[in-house]
Amino acid sequence: MSLAKISEQAPQKVSQKDYFSISFVLARVLNTGIIMSIEKNEKELKGLESTLSKLSGKKYVTLYNSFTAAIHGALWGQDIVHGSQATLAHSAAPQERKFAQWLGIELIEGLDQAYTVIDIDWQNLKDIDTLLKQHSQDKAIVVNFTGLSFGPVATLLTNEEPLYKKSERLKIFGAFDLRTMWTQTEQEFEIQPGVQFNYRLSPLVGACVKLSLLRRDKQDED
Amino acid sequence: MKTDFNHYLLDIPEETWAYEELAIDGGRAVLPREGRKTTFPNITKEDVLQMLISIQKQPEEVIQEFTDQYRQYVGANYAISTASGTSSLHLALIGAGIEPGDEVILPAFTFIATAQAVVAAKGIPIFADVDPQTYCLDVTQIEKLITPRTKVIMPVHVHGLPANIEAIQQICNQYQLKLVEDASHAHSASINGQLCGSLGDTAGQSLMADKNFPVGGEGGIAFFKKEEDYQRALNFLQDSGIDYDISWIAAAFGISQLERLPYYDAIRQRNAQHLIRTLNQTTLFQGPYIPEGYKHSFNMFRLQINVNLPAFAGIPPYQVKEAIQTILMEEGVFAREWQNVPIPRHLPFINQKGFGNQYPFSLYQEDELPYGLEHFPNTLEMLNTTLAICRELRSPVEYEKLLSYELAFKKLDQNIEKIATFARTLNVQPPYERDARLG
Repeated sequence: MSLAKISEQAPQKVSQKDYFSISFVLARVLNTGIIMSIEKNEKELKGLESTLSKLSGKKYVTLYNSFTAAIHGALWGQDIVHGSQATLAHSAAPQERKFAQWLGIELIEGLDQAYTVIDIDWQNLKDIDTLLKQHSQDKAIVVNFTGLSFGPVATLLTNEEPLYKKSERLKIFGAFDLRTMWTQTEQEFEIQPGVQFNYRLSPLVGACVKLSLLRRDKQDED
Repeated sequence: MKTDFNHYLLDIPEETWAYEELAIDGGRAVLPREGRKTTFPNITKEDVLQMLISIQKQPEEVIQEFTDQYRQYVGANYAISTASGTSSLHLALIGAGIEPGDEVILPAFTFIATAQAVVAAKGIPIFADVDPQTYCLDVTQIEKLITPRTKVIMPVHVHGLPANIEAIQQICNQYQLKLVEDASHAHSASINGQLCGSLGDTAGQSLMADKNFPVGGEGGIAFFKKEEDYQRALNFLQDSGIDYDISWIAAAFGISQLERLPYYDAIRQRNAQHLIRTLNQTTLFQGPYIPEGYKHSFNMFRLQINVNLPAFAGIPPYQVKEAIQTILMEEGVFAREWQNVPIPRHLPFINQKGFGNQYPFSLYQEDELPYGLEHFPNTLEMLNTTLAICRELRSPVEYEKLLSYELAFKKLDQNIEKIATFARTLNVQPPYERDARLG
């Protein structure tokens, strides 16, 4: 059977000079036995959220298991939903436009740009601080780390609490634990969930992104 | 160094412990606190080595290697590995040809992802009650729910017991409907030797970390019988732009775990069958019912409580269950509710916001969706009178730990009057009116 490429964003290869570091961090996480994103003791995803919050200066961080998931979070968090209109950046990829249309959103010109995208790969990883600073005033920033080659992974950064709360509740288990998941009781109707996807990120992937971020200035030291 | 290695040595339990004072009354717990932890998935040197090998390959190559190996294991014709079980179910529904507004019949008792996948496919979930013995989709409820908009019947092999596929397939044939399996609990489960995931037109299966076959944290896989359904799912991914790719890291973990899956299955099967025999010898408990020719994978083990004993007369069944859960936990057995509200009473299905502006629920052509609790008496009865053992039996636990679990159940069986007395002191709400109670 031929290789089935199921998304438009082809995964890239891990940079050879990073084999050891990535292997080490993967082995370390595997040794703890905690690889489930809803595990109470899970530390890697919380660590990545904290790292991204510090880096960006944004109060709220939501992790996702793909670029389109983070876009969905950005849109849903701003009540840009089925039947709404939105304006995307001129540079928006065809995949973004197709996805927004699949969500039932009409793309028009002239509104405030719904979100900002920063694509990170091994070439520009060391510049992430600068890139984030350039967009520090933006309401919803989607940072796409898929180019780092660990698999689809992205984050939504914002200072807006309602946006954050809604975007978290778009994820199955996003704001709830094993006890409360079954009712998802919320006082505020506004943030109560509608359709939900499993956009949860694997801690193994999160650990690799976190390590890459922490050693971003050491790219050429080997 | 952080490690999940369990250094605690558990004593082999003695039968006389069953006659000692209950832990809740100050007696010794059958399972000491230090011995209660279970480890799963088991992560070994093979997993680490596979990761070191896979990191040097192209990501697509690792993913395809995993997909092909597991597809062949299941016996499916086509497969797409995905980021999660929910996304695999979404693709399975799309592959089956579901269009916006189409109705999908599924059980009211499952994980919310089954129903959310229907909404993600822009379909309308139509919930049926469960069978009172198997807790899977009640076949006798299906036909009255079929309308001209029905496209798919979506049984769930809940906890790992295969649904009655033969009967459901007959209905599908009669009404020209597609059969989409939710096989998320049913790794290696089978009917007459044919594995779940290969039984329906299409299937979705979760591979998250608390499943019997876990990949690296989060993952899933969709199976297809026909090439045209597989192709329809691939086309959808291109047309919608949605990124459901699995990480190669998760796939690499799946490659090494797959080699050990038969061992995990065998030890879980041994333990579960042993526990069923013990429970069925008690007055208070009964193990899960398994039809002839069916192989249960025991991702969860749901035990029934005999709430109709004379000692419990006049006590609401869920209050007896609450008492038993509390006493069992004191003895060291994590008996859980897992899921305690029928899916149609979960907030997303009460509100029906969908993708926003009530879409796709707005496409429903009748006045009101039949989502009220009164439609699901068997589900409510099950929630009132059963408890689930989850990770404790899913893990390949040692024989001495299994014996400890069994001894705890035997101990409770010796204390039925005390359980009744304790239950009378409780003031609890029915399970479906509150958050779930974990072990």
